[in-house]
Amino acid sequence: MQKEIKKTWYFPQSPEEVWEYLTNPELIELWLAKTDFKPIAGNRFQFTNSCDGGDRKPHFTFCKVLEIVPCKLLSYSWQKGVSEDAITLDSVVTWTLTGKDGGTQLHLQHNGFYLLEDVMAHTNGWNGCLNKIIALINTASHATSNA
Amino acid sequence: MQHQTLDAFQVIADPSRRYMLQLLSKDSMTINALAENFDMSRPAVSKHIKILYNGGFISIKDIGRERYCTLKQEGFDELQDFINYFDKFWTGKLKKLEAILNNKSKK
Repeated sequence: MQKEIKKTWYFPQSPEEVWEYLTNPELIELWLAKTDFKPIAGNRFQFTNSCDGGDRKPHFTFCKVLEIVPCKLLSYSWQKGVSEDAITLDSVVTWTLTGKDGGTQLHLQHNGFYLLEDVMAHTNGWNGCLNKIIALINTASHATSNA
Repeated sequence: MQHQTLDAFQVIADPSRRYMLQLLSKDSMTINALAENFDMSRPAVSKHIKILYNGGFISIKDIGRERYCTLKQEGFDELQDFINYFDKFWTGKLKKLEAILNNKSKK
């Protein structure tokens, strides 16, 4: 099961220019979502309607700047839920910028789906268990039908 | 019954429900046996089981006088769908960023 997302993208623009689009709220809104982002570690911010999952409810993503190295690295928590007190998706988005061939290699990593990992860690190998259970049920049903 | 429309992540957001899945990953269990592991009322346990059932994480089968809960693939598939959704989400956003940057260079 896939547990994280990794993407590498090349832009002919300089890291400084790409960085602007990752950190300037007005520019972020052009391609990602409306936000009150500030490039300060520890700063809490939100994306609004950044993720429309089919229903028409407004969606919020609650974030916090975890690490910021100008023009090189930006990492923020990415939490979703109906409110900040009811988070159902807890994950981390990390952007890494590297100068390459006069442009920028932008790497995105979206991982740390904590609740998901918790479930998967504890239920891994459940397919094997499932076979055991099916056998058990069959035996039990057989016993019942004989009763 | 309320809470019938929780998405897969909302289903697993609750620690008690994650623990139930953990217990069920070892073996199928009766609702009574599951309830013994929790310091909560029987109706509260039933509510969580109902949510897991509605989310497609477990199936419930009556065997004799007991109700057996067993893990089911469907709910887990939905979690995978969610990751796939974000995968597409970011590809779409990056394409948009690329288009904006390219347009800007041309001007």
